[in-house]
Amino acid sequence: MSTTTQSPDRTPTAAAPARTPAHPWLVVTVREVVVKLTDRSFVLSTALMVVLIVAGVGISAFMGGRSTTFDVGAVDTSTGTVAQGAQQLIAAGGDDLQVTSYDSEDALRAAVLDEEVDAGLVQGQDGFTLIGNDEIDPTLQRAVSSAVEEHVLSQNAEAAGTTLAELREGATVSTTLIGADAGRATAAQVAGFIFAFLFYMSAIMFGMTIANSVLEEKQNRVVEILATAIPVRQILYGKVLGNSLLAFGQIALFGVVGLIGVNVAGMASDVGWLLSASGWFAAFFVAGFIALAAVWAVLGSLASRSEDLQSSTGPVIGVIMVALFAGLFAQGMLLQVASFVPVVSSVAMPIRLLAGEVPLWQPVVSLLLTLVAAGLLIRLGERIYQRAVMHSGAAISWRQAFRLES
Amino acid sequence: MTSPPQLDVHHLTRRFGANVAVDDVSFSVRPGQMTGFVGANGAGKTSTMRMIMGVLAIHGGEVHWDGRPITREDRARFGYMPEERGLYPKQGILDQLTYLGQLRGLSRHDAAQEATRLLERFGLGGRTRDKLESLSLGNQQRVQVAAALLHGPTALILDEPFSGLDPVAVDSMVDLISERLRDGVPVLFSSHQLDLVDRLCDSLVVLADGRVQAYGSADELRSRGPQRYRIRTGHDAGWLREEPGVQVLDVDGPTALLQLPDGIPDGLLARAVQHDLVEFSPLVPSLADIYREVTR
Repeated sequence: MSTTTQSPDRTPTAAAPARTPAHPWLVVTVREVVVKLTDRSFVLSTALMVVLIVAGVGISAFMGGRSTTFDVGAVDTSTGTVAQGAQQLIAAGGDDLQVTSYDSEDALRAAVLDEEVDAGLVQGQDGFTLIGNDEIDPTLQRAVSSAVEEHVLSQNAEAAGTTLAELREGATVSTTLIGADAGRATAAQVAGFIFAFLFYMSAIMFGMTIANSVLEEKQNRVVEILATAIPVRQILYGKVLGNSLLAFGQIALFGVVGLIGVNVAGMASDVGWLLSASGWFAAFFVAGFIALAAVWAVLGSLASRSEDLQSSTGPVIGVIMVALFAGLFAQGMLLQVASFVPVVSSVAMPIRLLAGEVPLWQPVVSLLLTLVAAGLLIRLGERIYQRAVMHSGAAISWRQAFRLES
Repeated sequence: MTSPPQLDVHHLTRRFGANVAVDDVSFSVRPGQMTGFVGANGAGKTSTMRMIMGVLAIHGGEVHWDGRPITREDRARFGYMPEERGLYPKQGILDQLTYLGQLRGLSRHDAAQEATRLLERFGLGGRTRDKLESLSLGNQQRVQVAAALLHGPTALILDEPFSGLDPVAVDSMVDLISERLRDGVPVLFSSHQLDLVDRLCDSLVVLADGRVQAYGSADELRSRGPQRYRIRTGHDAGWLREEPGVQVLDVDGPTALLQLPDGIPDGLLARAVQHDLVEFSPLVPSLADIYREVTR
């Protein structure tokens, strides 16, 4: 506008005519992301989570990698030989066994009580006895029992004129799993739990962020200034997109930290399958999250103070809980149905995909349903948000919001 | 150069339920003029301003800019200060001003530069990184003003812009607004501070119960009321009671307050001179007086 260029002390740059930016939602998105990334509590909680992941990987690597040395006392050569036999079994489990000889059974008992040795092996009239102090480590007990059994059986076999190998012939049972999901059941459960929990955590954490950020603008009437600059629905788009990006980014960060940790700890081969299963989860996560985001934004616009938010978020948190529990506990038909219900499907379908063969059309249809639901919810959210966010005064109900006039 | 655009409000009406908050309100805000918008609480000032800015739905009437119905884009170029204050309490003031500038189409760099310039003029140059909530209320108000001026607005709609400001802040804000006025920007501002309205306004819209009670340039309004004069003579002014065409409102020794419905009667001044006339002057009513008169 030519009239804005007259004043001599205005800088030439500021004389550029103001207009609506090309992508107003993008400006809003950038602000949402920047504000959150410079928010100390967000940065701290994210850092804490990273520390927990690293610690978790570290502890499980440590637990898996450390070895124990068992001390077993023996009195005569016979028990000494048996104890040596147990040594091989213990060594196979990654631990170590030391055999110490004692002069008498009393000396051995004293040594057990003094905890010089973990256990003592003595032979009586009717068999072997493993003497322990307060308790005996189950690993040690199993190994010694097997060794005793082996020893006695081979002695008895010798007495009967045969060998242990002959006695055992044909007695071994080997297992073969012929189902398609052989060996994945437990792993799938663990992965399902991780997915369900990640979705639950992000949906609630970033959902509350969206609701609070909408409420903040409503409460401080900034929204009135924003609304004169850009269309109100652009604010909604920007918020949903910005917080979705933050949620995806945070999950990706946790994932990368976890994978690096697992690689460093040398456990990568154990979790490689999880990565291949994550693709569908990512797709369902994005769709489900965006569908919920619109609902959160509406909740924020209906509230008038943050106290209102505490009570009005109940239903949506309920839906997220249902998704969590459906993913964790639903079986059979129920799980199949759940895997087609938008938002709930974000947990249920990836779990079905993890647990077994699902025809490709099913996740595709389910994903499309979620996307349609997300689109509808954003449309609906837009309508309510536009009216409610301008409405100062007491908190309003969903029903009132539909009747509101801008 | 074409003349700068003007803002026209035509028969604006808004209801809240059965209550008519704004009832057939019409006025114009002329380019380069400061138009004061006064009225009691609940008279409909804020609703009218919100309708002009498009954040409240219009039930009747129209808002015109530059002679045609106003558009979103027109409003986006306006500067607006809503009645209820507040930006982002927990964000740095430069950051949020930059954001608001970007929303109005400035580049990030330009928005930051202009925001810094305005903050410096308001004496907040050293606090650009401070959070809004850490500032005093007066300083928060200055940031709010900066938010309205940031993008070189084509019109200013300011709801109670001076409330909560100390006299120095009022002056620096008036300076800034005057610059915009010199550029031909029309300014509409509401206020309860009638002394400020008196000092600043080129024209005035008085609203009561949603209706325009008085509207015109300050001079028009001032001359509209009955003409009053003050007279002082050497002796007791009681003789004026006998004069034809003179209503004596008050006598205090040699001084009297007169109302002359038909102008100055012939011979009045000649007789006053005989009474050792010292002073005879018209009394210019303040806009505050006019406001009280029309809303009584």
